Amino acid sequence: MSEAVQPLTTIGHVTPRVDAMARVTGQAKYTNDLKLPGMLYARVLRSPHPHARIRHIDTREASRLPGVRAVITHENAQVVWGAGAVAGGRQYSDAIKATTLQRRYIFNNPVRCVGDAVAAVAATDRHIAEQALALIKVEYEVLPFVLEPEAALAADAPRIWPEGNLCPDVHNNFAPMVSDLGDIAAGFAAADQVFEQRYDTGFVHNAQLEPRCALAHWQGETLTLYTPSQGIANCRHDMARDLGLDDQHVRVVCHYMGGGFGNKNQNQDADLIAATLARHTNAPVMLEYTRRDDWLGMHGRWPTVQQYKVGVTNDGTVTAIQLIGYSGMGPYRKNAGGIGGLELYACPNRYRSLSSVYTNRTTSGNFRAPSEPHGVYGIESIMDDIAYTLGMDPVEFTVKNMLRPTAEQPFTNYSLDACIQMGVEQFDWQARRKVIPGSDAGPIKRGAGFSFMMFRAALGRSSAIVHVDARQRYTLFVGVTDVGPGAKTTMGMIAAEALGVPLSQVDVVSGDTDRCPYSVGESGSRTTIMTGMAVVEAVKDLKQQIAARGMPTGNDVFVASATPSPTTDGKMRQCFGAHFVEVEVDTRLGTTRITTYVAIHESGRIINPQTARDQIRGAVLQGIGQALHEDLLYDPASGQPLTTGYYRARHMTHLDVPTIDVRFLEVDDGYGPFGAKTIGESGIILAPAAVANAIFNATGKRMTSLPITRDKILGAMG
Amino acid sequence: MGDTSAASSARQEGHPTAPSHRAVLEGIGLTPDATASAMTAPSRTAISLTVNGVNHRVDVEDRWTLVQLLRDHLELTGTKIGCDRSECEACTVLMDGKPVYACCQLAVWADGADVQTVEGLAHDGRLSPLQQAFIDHNAPQCGFCTPGQLMTATALLNTVPRPDAAQVKHALVGVLCRCSNYNAIVEAVVAAGAQQGGAA
Repeated sequence: MSEAVQPLTTIGHVTPRVDAMARVTGQAKYTNDLKLPGMLYARVLRSPHPHARIRHIDTREASRLPGVRAVITHENAQVVWGAGAVAGGRQYSDAIKATTLQRRYIFNNPVRCVGDAVAAVAATDRHIAEQALALIKVEYEVLPFVLEPEAALAADAPRIWPEGNLCPDVHNNFAPMVSDLGDIAAGFAAADQVFEQRYDTGFVHNAQLEPRCALAHWQGETLTLYTPSQGIANCRHDMARDLGLDDQHVRVVCHYMGGGFGNKNQNQDADLIAATLARHTNAPVMLEYTRRDDWLGMHGRWPTVQQYKVGVTNDGTVTAIQLIGYSGMGPYRKNAGGIGGLELYACPNRYRSLSSVYTNRTTSGNFRAPSEPHGVYGIESIMDDIAYTLGMDPVEFTVKNMLRPTAEQPFTNYSLDACIQMGVEQFDWQARRKVIPGSDAGPIKRGAGFSFMMFRAALGRSSAIVHVDARQRYTLFVGVTDVGPGAKTTMGMIAAEALGVPLSQVDVVSGDTDRCPYSVGESGSRTTIMTGMAVVEAVKDLKQQIAARGMPTGNDVFVASATPSPTTDGKMRQCFGAHFVEVEVDTRLGTTRITTYVAIHESGRIINPQTARDQIRGAVLQGIGQALHEDLLYDPASGQPLTTGYYRARHMTHLDVPTIDVRFLEVDDGYGPFGAKTIGESGIILAPAAVANAIFNATGKRMTSLPITRDKILGAMG
Repeated sequence: MGDTSAASSARQEGHPTAPSHRAVLEGIGLTPDATASAMTAPSRTAISLTVNGVNHRVDVEDRWTLVQLLRDHLELTGTKIGCDRSECEACTVLMDGKPVYACCQLAVWADGADVQTVEGLAHDGRLSPLQQAFIDHNAPQCGFCTPGQLMTATALLNTVPRPDAAQVKHALVGVLCRCSNYNAIVEAVVAAGAQQGGAA
């Protein structure tokens, strides 16, 4: 499966971003750089308690402060945050919003976590807004709280919602989500050995450099919202639904944004609070979240507990996989709380029971591959253990057991064997791996770890418009935002390639719902493949017009649009990857250093080699951070969050970072724009597992808890 | 914006360029006893400074940070606020040639200073070699930390014209990039140095 792709003219060549100049000269305007005449500044007051009923709020003194224009609380601003309150993580469904029992408002009473919003102030100056917060008097009745998902399910646990702490499904059924494939009992009966292990994983923040913020501006009944958004069309629809407007009465604008990694999907509470304050004051309102607001307002990756039971025969064939999992969602449910990984295995007998549980930690949202990295860490840890116990090379064990295409479930193509083989050679796996884990003499021990993944690259509906004028300039309208990967450039390159013109002849208009058609949104690694397909289809239409009529002359403009919903003809379409890492563990200090990291990916045809490489490098480094450092810790006695910032959560710096060796195995499977597949999320999926397995190989100790901080390594070494 | 009528009320008290941290914290309402000071107009100080070669005389509120002065009052929004508490260094600017966190410098402390921001790196529309290297090596992903990376690296190149990767990492250690594009940033700075050194 290594057939060479046909070389193309623009695609596949290193291409500087179309907006690179603006990014290096400070001219790029991010949301918080905007200023409108008469603009007010807003700040949010947040709960200091993990769980408390608000007895009384006195806003009189705050309201009297000169310069204060509005103070809003749960008493005078009851807006349901639909994207956040819906059961089952089904953020886009109006029907589910109508039936859900447990609603999240922009201000809640009771407050259910430290950082739950209590009030917001708009004032002529940000300092006045901050002063006003200090003048709001809130009388709380402090309630008992619970932080851990298993403890929250105990019969005598404090109830965060009247129905209890188990999250309901979309039909308001209060039961764990169960997936039961094959015959799990028969699978264990067929096993020669059964392995069991419990793992837990940390609470990881997206921590994008730009804190969430929003500038809301009403003109009559129409709201213009400037906000950093990973999906302006989705944000518009969510805002309209939550505020009771037609979609046509909301315009969402985002030209530059400072990262998100899932933290800016859908609409945010900042958007709704800013819009509500702007309505109350009849003025544009800029709501700026502080770093702590951003840390506590939403936290991407939910903490989990994963109890695995795996049956194998003595020849290393997996016969049964069972996972009993718990995900701590915080007090509101913004995502389903998945724990992925079982689907990587061909074993037909797979049972998964997943309980998403309310806790009094802050809300879990979305973080780059929301369900995968923690789950792949868990299952790849136990599979690694099994391989070593059976005396097998983990790579050999994987190749024997990984999911493969079948007659019933064909793939568009399958590159896992090729990725793994390429990585084994590039990394020199046989030389670096310790056949006996922990066998290095001395306190500083080296070891090597491996993990693999496949991740969805399915196609779906999106839109694009392209036009050409008599100057032979092409203008592409796509409703994408560039979170950081370079979507504007990628879309322009796809258009240029399809048109057969240089990229310099194509202008890309994006980031504005009034000017651009629907786009699927920068979540789920979908922009390149889905909106990219719409660009290809729109260009096809335009070229037919040009073929029929010649190029436009005078004032003529030819316009073409497309909203395709391509399928993969019943085949599974996946991107593939294999990671190999060597670590050096200082067993006296408990520190882990990455010495070599090789990431092999098959993501179809690569559009822009440079930005694609850096998507993988960045994702891997975030995954290493999740493996070794990052966690929102809570004080069990007080329910207070302790690591609400970059230093405290120990985010990686220039000095912590190894060089990541990224290699793409390019394939054109005949689907997607010129054969492109997903990239953005895939790189983070394997990193925590690969690092954890390398630490086992170095030390001989299995680390069952992420992040693998120094104290845990020292504890394991005894 | 703000209340200009009370501009000089407190200027005579103490050293105008160095109010105490306590006074500053009270001024922005972060302490429980901010209530008492909340109703009084903020004190102001007239300062003069040079930003990107342009002289400015500004009547600043004593509680303004340097990054606020740059972004809100001099319309230089290239400098970003990532944390507002000296954790991320996105706001780094050069003050008399040295990199400082503009979020943790009071504007009044910049009185008499020569400040350079990301907007001052290009001359007559020509990018600095470092800016060009950032483009060539895809050093910005989301771009939010880019001004801080550029300014810190500019200070490094001014003192160490041809740094190696280890020197770049040490100099830029505090400038966080959550896109984690660290490899590309280091490659860009090393390349800019090599080019600069070669031309000298």
